[in-house]
Amino acid sequence: MSLPLNINFQQILLHMFNLCLLFGGLYLLLYKPVKRFMDDRAAKYKSVDDAAKEKLLKAQEAETLAEHRLKDCEIKIEQDMAKSRADAEAEAESIIKDANNTRKQILAAAEDAALREKNRMINDAREEIAELAVKAAEKVIAEKKVKSDD
Amino acid sequence: MSKKRRTIFILVWVLCAAAFLVSSLVIGGASPEESIKETMRDAVLHDTNKISLFGIMDVNPAVISAYTVTFILLIFAVFVRIFAVPKFKTIPGKFQILLEEAVGFFDNLAKGNSPHKNYFLGAYVFVAGAYICIGTLFELLGLQGITTSGRSITLPAPLSDINGAIAMGVTSYLIILSGGILGNGFKGVLSTLKEFSLPISMSFRLFGALLSGLLVTELVYYYVGLSFALPVVVGVMFTALHALIQTYVLTMLTAVFYGEVSEKTPKKEKIKTKKRRKQI
Repeated sequence: MSLPLNINFQQILLHMFNLCLLFGGLYLLLYKPVKRFMDDRAAKYKSVDDAAKEKLLKAQEAETLAEHRLKDCEIKIEQDMAKSRADAEAEAESIIKDANNTRKQILAAAEDAALREKNRMINDAREEIAELAVKAAEKVIAEKKVKSDD
Repeated sequence: MSKKRRTIFILVWVLCAAAFLVSSLVIGGASPEESIKETMRDAVLHDTNKISLFGIMDVNPAVISAYTVTFILLIFAVFVRIFAVPKFKTIPGKFQILLEEAVGFFDNLAKGNSPHKNYFLGAYVFVAGAYICIGTLFELLGLQGITTSGRSITLPAPLSDINGAIAMGVTSYLIILSGGILGNGFKGVLSTLKEFSLPISMSFRLFGALLSGLLVTELVYYYVGLSFALPVVVGVMFTALHALIQTYVLTMLTAVFYGEVSEKTPKKEKIKTKKRRKQI
């Protein structure tokens, strides 16, 4: 069947048959394997990228957690330090108070002891003086007696 | 190379070239068996020179060209599949880059113009691109065919024959139609049929573009005097440019129309709008 411009359906169909053969052959032999290789490589890189991103995300989460923990620790340390400082101050006050009390007690005891010692010494001195006076009197008496006997 | 030897080489080279030039001009070509009018007419219509296809039927030379191009491409593909593809590396070599660029270019063309169902389109535009590009460059080889009348003719580019161009255009249209059916069912068929002029425009665009190059080349080659230096510019550069431009144009058009018809059309909410208006 001949048409203007020498268009021929039989030859058009022959060309289409040729295109069909070419499509099948090139698709199976060239396009598909190359595309599959490219897709596999892209998938591999994507999985590596995803894994890296996941690790990065985990690391960031861990970092955030560590920062939070660090912050909590700092707060706790500050609280503990404040508490310790308050305890220490309270303890120091009580120690000072106790020391003052002890000092007062010791001072009072020392004063008592000194007073007692003073009284004792006065008494002892009185007794000695009395004894000496007695002895002196006895001696005077004895001398007077001797003189009188003479 | 010493100065003396270089001078001798240049002298021999110039003498040889001059001898060939003078002898070709003196002897002249064989007396043309057909006038330029007949040559041009045959280049357009392919109604004079026929070639026997395995003795089954007489066909235009472009049919033989088409099968030869297919054979060359398939042999190349077989060699690539057997020897190159199994040795592909993650970090590609030069040849691998070339193949990946070719496949990637058409794949991206399909993905860019048709976001839906583009795998088949990518494969098709790759094959069509390879066929048009290599088919157009094929005429540079100057392979000879024997016509039924016993004359020797240079096999033309497959798409410089109107039948080859129509086959390419119609096949592309059928692929676009299949995209419409896959994407939108019956609506896709309708939207594809709306573009009824597409196969004609695609076919004749290809045919016209390649034919114009062929005619200019035929004109240049017809006269022996123009056969020096000029064919390098006219033949090689025109053909190379045609190959690239036509490959890009047809694959781009196919991808764009495929993308248009395969894109899912959103459901119209006319009834609901009317109801709302009534309610208001």
